[in-house]
Amino acid sequence: MEFAATIVILTCTYALLAAGTVILYKAGRVVNFAHGELAIVGGYVFYSAGLMSGGTSLWFPVAGAVVFSIIMGMFIYMAMMRRLVGEPFYVAILVTVGIGIVLKSAILVIWRAERLTIDVGVTPAIRMAGGATLSYMDIASVVLTVAFFAGLYLFFRFTRLGVQFRGTAENALLASQRGVDVNFVLSLAWVIAILAASLSGVLYGGRAFLSTESVTIGLAGLTAALVGGLDSLRGAVAGAFIVACAQYLTVRLVDPVLSEAVPFLLLVIVMSIRPWGLFGTQEELDRV
Amino acid sequence: MEKHVSRKLFAAAILAASALAAPAASAQNAYVIGYITDLSGPLADSYTPTWQGFELYMKALNDRGGINGKKVEVILDDDGLKADRAVANAKKQTERDNVVGIFGLSLSSTQAPVFTEMRKIGVPVVTTFSGILDALPPSKPFSYSTGVVFEVAGEAIGELTKNIKPNGKIVGMTFDSVGGRAALSHNKRMAESLGYTWDEVLFPVTTSDFTPFAQAVAEKKPDIVVGHYGSGQNLGVIPALRRSGYTGPYIVASYGVTEDTVRQAAVRAGNDENVYYVTRYATIYDNNPGIAEVSAAQKKYGTSKPFSSMHLTGWTLGKFAETALKACGWPCTREQLDKVIQTLKVDAPGLTGGPIEMSPQDHYGPTYWRLYVWNPKTTSMEPKSGWLKKAALKFPLQ
Repeated sequence: MEFAATIVILTCTYALLAAGTVILYKAGRVVNFAHGELAIVGGYVFYSAGLMSGGTSLWFPVAGAVVFSIIMGMFIYMAMMRRLVGEPFYVAILVTVGIGIVLKSAILVIWRAERLTIDVGVTPAIRMAGGATLSYMDIASVVLTVAFFAGLYLFFRFTRLGVQFRGTAENALLASQRGVDVNFVLSLAWVIAILAASLSGVLYGGRAFLSTESVTIGLAGLTAALVGGLDSLRGAVAGAFIVACAQYLTVRLVDPVLSEAVPFLLLVIVMSIRPWGLFGTQEELDRV
Repeated sequence: MEKHVSRKLFAAAILAASALAAPAASAQNAYVIGYITDLSGPLADSYTPTWQGFELYMKALNDRGGINGKKVEVILDDDGLKADRAVANAKKQTERDNVVGIFGLSLSSTQAPVFTEMRKIGVPVVTTFSGILDALPPSKPFSYSTGVVFEVAGEAIGELTKNIKPNGKIVGMTFDSVGGRAALSHNKRMAESLGYTWDEVLFPVTTSDFTPFAQAVAEKKPDIVVGHYGSGQNLGVIPALRRSGYTGPYIVASYGVTEDTVRQAAVRAGNDENVYYVTRYATIYDNNPGIAEVSAAQKKYGTSKPFSSMHLTGWTLGKFAETALKACGWPCTREQLDKVIQTLKVDAPGLTGGPIEMSPQDHYGPTYWRLYVWNPKTTSMEPKSGWLKKAALKFPLQ
């Protein structure tokens, strides 16, 4: 039970990160290497907004993280990514690497590299056999991740903007010619991806802690997206589950020290056998 | 004519640059010492309070009139926990700032190259953090430590465990590093010699979600768990262990771990009553004139970090520096400073269990260790043992 709960919670953290990576790739063919940094900075913003409100209300930190995601998403697209249209794909990748470095420096400068924890709902909610417990934050991780993916499904499937989004992902030029505001759609993709990352960062800060080292969760999210397939949200969840299982089982059955290397070993194996990922399409890989 | 003016301007610029590049000249009437530590890297939250304790001591000292009528000027540089930056800082401090000795330093990985480089030019270096074997007998020249050497800490913790439970199974935890493994191996050696059974769990250095590792520990059904790492890891491990169902004693080894970190971790774990703390220096909850003096200085001059045992550690290093400079006299050279440090004895009543004593063969000396327990009701720590004296170990072990 404890084993299953831990894997499910880890899966949720990685799935949110992988979802952001997939959305950005599908929308603009950008592989975002700053996703871990965006997640952790989102968590830091949540923490600081909570402090500013005196820790009395949950709405203020939530609003802080949402506003951060919107501003950051719009800024990254409008100020940087939009200018890279027509450039080789690796230019955008390098820009995201640069964004990651700047965000990590921001953690050093603004938060003085302090390790912070988000102590919301950390009290035990469920006690399992053997004395292990699940906190309200753990339960929230699962509920919010399911809600996020359900929301995404409904958005893409049933809203006009969602259809425009899918059209842009399929063929941006054609979508533009049909009157879709492609810049707005691509900005929205960044906002949604950073929202998912911030949510992941907040949940992670509740379970572990936020620090400059915590940004490595972005690599786990990226691995999950690559294993599942860069253009598949379903693959993001599957990839997250596989990475979480691999990490957890390595700790428990092999050697805990190898737990961070195993996902990458898994990535190498999947990429060797099926380079487009488990649920990705071969056509997408060919484009890259 | 134009060419002539340009030359003059160029010469003036060179002169101005030279003046800027030689701040030590302005400090000829003061003792100039260096301090290098991590103020912006991953372990800044552990090293900053130690620096602030040192700074408090120097401010108070200079306000008292300094040493032999001379002020002490401290050149502070941040290594960001990077070895190359630490070495560059040390070279800058010795070549440009003309310091007589270097204090502080950060992680073992940054200490080693600084010790090596400074040994080449004969500059005494006194570290006060994790400390590497260079200071232990047979000690290497110019390398000293007033800090927590992992090997000695491992043994001290093993011995102090008797005050919690006289027997049973101990599980040691650390991150996969040279220092962490050294602490574990010495903790294990002492624990097994005292009749405990031993098991251990290591995790990668960059881990920040400790749940799977804590579950692996809980599954081993330990009677006592010991954590050999810094603040951040304790902040994650203690709540994760409690979530995993382990409610027994947990010992925090004080490698830069502040009382505030223990408080935060205990609160996250649900106001835990079974959290212990082993430290070389006293805690801020001890009630004695030594702590009161540091506390008064902290109130007078202020610090950005909450008052902690790390401030006491830095303050003691300040006292060590003052005693050394006083014995060195004026003017003080690097050679003279090194010579006096080799036989220095510094009393720090209330701040640690006994004096810091150096000898030509032993640049670490005997150390004193104490076990505390966190009391969630009073939100403070209480001593659970007297001060345990440990002689510096000899390597290779006899």
